[in-house]
Amino acid sequence: MTNKKFKQNTKDYEFGGGNIAEPPMRKRTRGFLNSKNVVPYVFVSPFIISFLILTLYPTIQAFIMSFQRILPGQVTFIGFQNYERIFNPAFFKALSNTTIYTIATVFVLVLVPLILAILLDSKFVRFKTIFRSALFIPSLTSVVVAGIIFRLFFAESESSIANQMIGLFGFDPVSWQYTGWSGMLLMVLIASWRWMGVNVLYFLAGLQNISKELYESADIDGANIFQKFLYITLPSLKPIMVFVTTISIIGGFRVFEESYVLWEGNSPGNIGLTLVGYLYQQGIQQNDMGFGAAIGVIILLIIFIVSILYLLITGGFKRGDE
Amino acid sequence: MKKLSLLGLLVLMLLILGACGGGDDAETNGGDAEESVVAGADLEDATELSFWTFAGTHADFYADAAEKWNEENPDKAIKLTVGTYPFDQMHNNLLLALQSGSGAPDLADIEIAKFPNFLKGDIQLEPLNDLIEPELESFVEERLDIYAADDIYYGAPTHLGATVVYYNQEIMDEAGVDIDSIKTWDDYVDAGKQVVNTTGKPMTTIPTNWYGIWPFVTQKESDFFNIDGEFTLDNEENIETLEFINSLINEHEIAEIAPGGNYHSEEFYGFMNEEGQASIVIPMYYMKDFVEYMPDLEGKMQIRPMPLAPGSETQSVAMGGTGTAVISQSEHTDLAKEFLYFAKLSKEGNIRLWTELGFDPPRWDVWEEPEVRADNIYYEFFHEDIFDILLTIKDDVAGINLSEYTPDVLSEIDSNIMHNVLREGNQTPEEALKQSADTIRQKMESAN
Amino acid sequence: MKKKNDTVTKWLLTIIIAIIAFIALFPLISLIISSFRPSTELMRDGITFSINWNELSLDNYVYIFTQAGEYWQWYGNSLIVSALTIILSLFFSSMVGYSLALYNFKGRNLIFLFVLVIIMIPFEVLMLPLYQLMIDIKLINTYTGIMLPLIVSPTAVFFFRQYAMGLPQELMDAARIDGCTEYGIFFKVMAPLMLPSFAAMAILQGLHSWNNFLWPLLVIRSNDLFTLPIGLATLLTPYGNNYDILIAGAVMTVIPIVILFGLFQRYFVAGLTTGGIKG
Repeated sequence: MTNKKFKQNTKDYEFGGGNIAEPPMRKRTRGFLNSKNVVPYVFVSPFIISFLILTLYPTIQAFIMSFQRILPGQVTFIGFQNYERIFNPAFFKALSNTTIYTIATVFVLVLVPLILAILLDSKFVRFKTIFRSALFIPSLTSVVVAGIIFRLFFAESESSIANQMIGLFGFDPVSWQYTGWSGMLLMVLIASWRWMGVNVLYFLAGLQNISKELYESADIDGANIFQKFLYITLPSLKPIMVFVTTISIIGGFRVFEESYVLWEGNSPGNIGLTLVGYLYQQGIQQNDMGFGAAIGVIILLIIFIVSILYLLITGGFKRGDE
Repeated sequence: MKKLSLLGLLVLMLLILGACGGGDDAETNGGDAEESVVAGADLEDATELSFWTFAGTHADFYADAAEKWNEENPDKAIKLTVGTYPFDQMHNNLLLALQSGSGAPDLADIEIAKFPNFLKGDIQLEPLNDLIEPELESFVEERLDIYAADDIYYGAPTHLGATVVYYNQEIMDEAGVDIDSIKTWDDYVDAGKQVVNTTGKPMTTIPTNWYGIWPFVTQKESDFFNIDGEFTLDNEENIETLEFINSLINEHEIAEIAPGGNYHSEEFYGFMNEEGQASIVIPMYYMKDFVEYMPDLEGKMQIRPMPLAPGSETQSVAMGGTGTAVISQSEHTDLAKEFLYFAKLSKEGNIRLWTELGFDPPRWDVWEEPEVRADNIYYEFFHEDIFDILLTIKDDVAGINLSEYTPDVLSEIDSNIMHNVLREGNQTPEEALKQSADTIRQKMESAN
Repeated sequence: MKKKNDTVTKWLLTIIIAIIAFIALFPLISLIISSFRPSTELMRDGITFSINWNELSLDNYVYIFTQAGEYWQWYGNSLIVSALTIILSLFFSSMVGYSLALYNFKGRNLIFLFVLVIIMIPFEVLMLPLYQLMIDIKLINTYTGIMLPLIVSPTAVFFFRQYAMGLPQELMDAARIDGCTEYGIFFKVMAPLMLPSFAAMAILQGLHSWNNFLWPLLVIRSNDLFTLPIGLATLLTPYGNNYDILIAGAVMTVIPIVILFGLFQRYFVAGLTTGGIKG
């Protein structure tokens, strides 16, 4: 199956590249396909097809499902019942967990990488490439592996690294995976550890795009290092900060895997329950697909509202499109 | 050039794949991890049957059974492919396959906490009454009822799962407690205090999942749903029961929370193996865990029925356990049922449940068979009279009632009730049970 | 005086960064060291400072190379799926991004708006209906089923579009005069100019696919098609009981992706610099 698909694609490729030498008989078709009016549509067609089939259709489907009760062999339309049920303690727990997580990760994942990128970009630091790679390598680990590492790091036993370290300061061992604040801490740590390097690279890229002349003229005006940072670096980095913050917000509201690798779906006291986790638990584990779909629709609304608000506030809509 | 290096890398990756493609000989090496087990592959006219399970040991059990089946029924030979999947994924995929009407196996193991999920809507499992009813008397019926809805049996039990107490004889001796003097839970608490005072070790630990409450609730002849299916999670008995469990930890201080939060984690195995606690309340099937993960306890553990709760004669409760079901999507339901009977419901099958898996067979009529009484590792690890103890209590085993909302209850127990009451202490048993009960009631109401 | 100060700052900053880099790598390093410890003990006690150096051994690795056939099968599956995803998604996404950047056509802005909207839709919301779709079109339990949602990645389209906006349009006209077809222009003239962005996206798409967890978890049914993250997650369950493979196996999942990154990191940073972030 897979192979066939792949071969077909290769053919497309040959067709695209090789039709210069085709016999004149097919010139007409070729001419049509090669016209500047048609070519862009050929190029964007994969997107349109995938948009229609893999995004639009499932979105509509999700809306429809959210008004149904779906059992094997019995699908019934139940109006708004799924939505009426949503606002229960578990959902609010998931919402508050997700919000705290989002705020914490946005805070950590914008601020720390920004500072690191500025340090890495400064002319004072040696071995930049090595450090850059070192910071990026955690991003290459899968969330499953990261989950394994952090579970072992923060194991309940007295001899786990985390408990040994707090032991040095005279604290008692903590059951990291079973307490509210530490459960959240673990999720934020996993996310921060994995995404730090990516954001550092984004900021580095942004920093390197700032023209050197700006700094030079500032030097001539006698600006000190903080003034330069405040009046040149930060404003120039604004677009990239908006970008990084937006993806962090979206990523924050989508959080699921960090929680899944720590608790596999059921966390004690729901300390690790997230919105998507709630969708997974109800829609898939408890086989309540209609209810799961309704949760999905709510998540969708939250993300749209939050990111549009954010982009409006920061003026993010003014860029990107001409 | 750069383009070449990109292509080069991809080609390289594909080459590496080719190199790994020696999967065939790698597989013959075995490795006891997840993989498909196939029985009867060499038979030509064999009917193909597929089987999903989540436990590797079960997979071997069914493959063996299939080999035996083929020896005895050459005319109805089967080729059984048993796939082992992660617990969560197997149940999810099975649900989704039933939901969508295709892609399900012929037979599947369904764990008790998940079973009710499969009894919703138009039930997609085959009734097993014609197999079970003729021999109903030989079974401990409570176990069969667990997998039934409206008097139709959908699952073949894997074990009786009679809950017992395993005492560590050495610790009890050190504390000067005679195990056989513990008749009631009050005795148990007194003994526990003595153990804590002399040895400094807890009498037991409580898991924060349903193993920490359901056995006790059932023993008090209550349940989360009563026999008529009414929701009783927050009834008086259950509140009392949870108060009792809470008192073991927070009042009498003879118990702690189980390391790792449950009895099946490495943390717990290590703790128990190093004689961290004096006793554990858990179904019989845990014998296998002792033998496999806690080898240092060999010869030290004593099995006894549960202490009695006030006003109850119940000596044990049937807990945990997997029901094997025949899926209606199967094209060979009759053959699958026949095989299931052979593997798990027949006398021979039940004997093999003990000899191969170390499970207490749900058919009590095999408990005195010579094959069951013959020497094996479990008698060596524990003691000879395991089945004599079972025979004395067989009429006092309580079963549990399942409802389609049981998974929701168990999920509330795992994630809210036990955590808030026992670990955090921020809710009283009554508050926690009422709050969870309200959540579930809301769900039940909206479904009607 | 100033020069001396500079040297001090230089080393001070370098040391600070070095410490941070060490902290970032520390979890991985400790996992690698721990992978030589007996695995059951590791699961019980966690990663610890008090390592008994005498009990370190190669046992876990010996086991994984000799006994763990299924691990290598997952490994191979992950390599196949990731390689195909990289090739296909780069091919399609670059075409779309290129076309959105350098052609003027009706509906272009609308399509670009859709790209931005899709980036915002969490995949998890579409998961259930997509899952049913996969069943309907019989792609459940196939690699195609895993890859399909990743093939035209909106993030990659966005990125390629941003990158291509910076390309000189005159080159296209020159190529037309030379008699190149529009397709020829893309494949022979413009795509080579976009190579840094290809490298950047190869890493990001490879990363994404190699580590993809939730979707394959739903789509894949048979053990022999498992990808690595799912296979490893299998080993975490109490019924799996295979910690020998788990830890050493986890270490080795990181290797191919580190190689990929090492090979391309030069272009990766260059690609990012001129790409996605330009306003």
